[in-house]
Amino acid sequence: MSSLPVSPTGGPIVSSHLSAEPSVQVRSLNYCFGRGELRKQVLYDISLDLFGGHIVIMTGPSGSGKTTLLTLIGALRSVHEGSLRVMGKELVGLGSRQLVDIRRNIGFIFQSHNLFESLTACQNVEMAVELTGQLQNKRQQAIAMLEKVGLGDRVDYKPQALSGGQKQRVAIARALVNQPRLILADEPTAALDKKSGRDVVTLLQNLAREGNCTILMVTHDNRILDVADRIINLVDGRLESDESLQHFVATHDPKTLDRRMFIL
Amino acid sequence: MHRTPLALLNLIHDRKKFLTSLAGVAFAVLLMFLFNGFKNALYDSQTQLLEKFNAEIVIINRLKENMFVPRAFARRRLYQAKAFAGVEEAFAVYTSEARWKNAATKQTLPVRVIAYNPAEPVLPTADILAHQAALKLPNTALIDTRARAEVGPRETGMITELADREIRIVGTFSLGTDFAAGNGNLLMSDQNFLRYFAFRGPEEVERSFATVDLGLLKVAPGTDVPRLVKTLSDNLPQDILVLSKDGPDGFVMRERKYWEENTNIGFVFSLLTAMGFVVGIILVYQILYTDVADHWSEYATLKAMGYDNLFLFTVVMQEAIILSVFGFIPGLLVSGLFYNLAAGTTGLVFQMTLERVVSIYIMTFVMCLVSGAIAVRKVQATDPAEVFGL
Repeated sequence: MSSLPVSPTGGPIVSSHLSAEPSVQVRSLNYCFGRGELRKQVLYDISLDLFGGHIVIMTGPSGSGKTTLLTLIGALRSVHEGSLRVMGKELVGLGSRQLVDIRRNIGFIFQSHNLFESLTACQNVEMAVELTGQLQNKRQQAIAMLEKVGLGDRVDYKPQALSGGQKQRVAIARALVNQPRLILADEPTAALDKKSGRDVVTLLQNLAREGNCTILMVTHDNRILDVADRIINLVDGRLESDESLQHFVATHDPKTLDRRMFIL
Repeated sequence: MHRTPLALLNLIHDRKKFLTSLAGVAFAVLLMFLFNGFKNALYDSQTQLLEKFNAEIVIINRLKENMFVPRAFARRRLYQAKAFAGVEEAFAVYTSEARWKNAATKQTLPVRVIAYNPAEPVLPTADILAHQAALKLPNTALIDTRARAEVGPRETGMITELADREIRIVGTFSLGTDFAAGNGNLLMSDQNFLRYFAFRGPEEVERSFATVDLGLLKVAPGTDVPRLVKTLSDNLPQDILVLSKDGPDGFVMRERKYWEENTNIGFVFSLLTAMGFVVGIILVYQILYTDVADHWSEYATLKAMGYDNLFLFTVVMQEAIILSVFGFIPGLLVSGLFYNLAAGTTGLVFQMTLERVVSIYIMTFVMCLVSGAIAVRKVQATDPAEVFGL
């Protein structure tokens, strides 16, 4: 497979950062679950580059290995085969302690907000700031971030008093407050209604542009595909297609639409 | 600025649950205090009378292994002892079991009578000294207000029967019961003691001033008590035992040791205290485990964000310590109430000494730490990768 982000289907990859070092560089990555008899390979020979300022959406049917790939890039599992460089650091062969250090520079957004009910919106965000050791102005930083996600007037509310969309925005503030260059999102809109989901992705899109960070998002939600700069399709652990949004729209005309894309 | 107090906030977030948790810890604390309290009360009570005796050296019959054994010794040993240099005074104390009639129910039950010459300061407590003159009248006694409720009314001026003779209560004092005292203590003059116990009938032991149950020696100031005890032991006949009152080999400790070593009280109550401890571990473990299980995905998210296991360990341990502190305080207060209640009904001494409070707190603290250490394994085993795809 090519080392450059050229789509296997020939779609042009539009990027203004081609010259810059990719924030994520995956080469010939294989991954298996289990050992011995139960060993099951879930990812086959993945090669991929992700660049700053891009929103990359990863789609694919259930069990195709999307989440596994996301957790590998997120330094949540150890990689054994191939090469995986995240923000210039090779993850293959790192111990769990070093993986923790890598994770501190990545923003995670989950399907559920995973906020502590006992903490206010601000305190939840502060938990992330505390990782950097900046205890003096952690509240100011958290408030500034909450204002960016449009929750300046909900700073001292507990999650109980916030709507689903607001909670997810607090979770986004928590993921972004330390200005990570890489954000991994796992179905961030799945638990939200159409409007809140749209608000959340628009917010992510703006923040990615502004902070020049890479967003890798796994989603089944076809309503939000339009925010993507690139769409990667994973089927049975293999990279099926990697194309720009324009190309994706052209090839996925509703009449010729590959139904597999939308098996939820 | 400090770190967000996650442990505290998680605990107090649900007020009702927090109060229930504290009640659980307080209950375990109460169990430990009660069982430990009963154990100590039984031991402490055995020596409360002995500690009040105004003496440095005590002489008893060699066969009087504990206060229960009704063995007296010859009074002349006291006079012999008085001849030694350093011994200033020798007091004779007489004790006897006697049947007492409850003035209200007319039931008879055994009490202990303690007698001595009221002119001598044998038990120089304020309440006893106040009635010294009245004790000199015939057929009078003082009654212990902390005697068990079964002895009936304990008031000055009441008239009832002791050993089938009329007796008038001319005052009260406060002491409490022990195993040898039966239901309570009466205090009377040695003259009255003779009136009641000299000729009680053919089946009873006749008492006279010739034999003494306890001999108390007051020594001159600056006397080397252990050396004097040794001199007395070596020079007096071997039918008596000379002991210093205090100290590790003293009379008071000997009595306490007898009950500690010859009964199962200690074992039984230590076992019960240990059970309270185990109950506490299980309760606190349940509380902490529920907290961890309820916030599993939040803790996993923290791990994904870059918090390490040590941080999560600290959070759970902080929760354990907070529970131990805030559960201990109500436990201590309720235990104090129970101690007063139990002391009132049993006449035993329930002492809440600083040392005992501290030792129970240490047990509570260890209890919470052990629970925390078990519960924390759940968080530490959390694989942050599993939060994805949930």
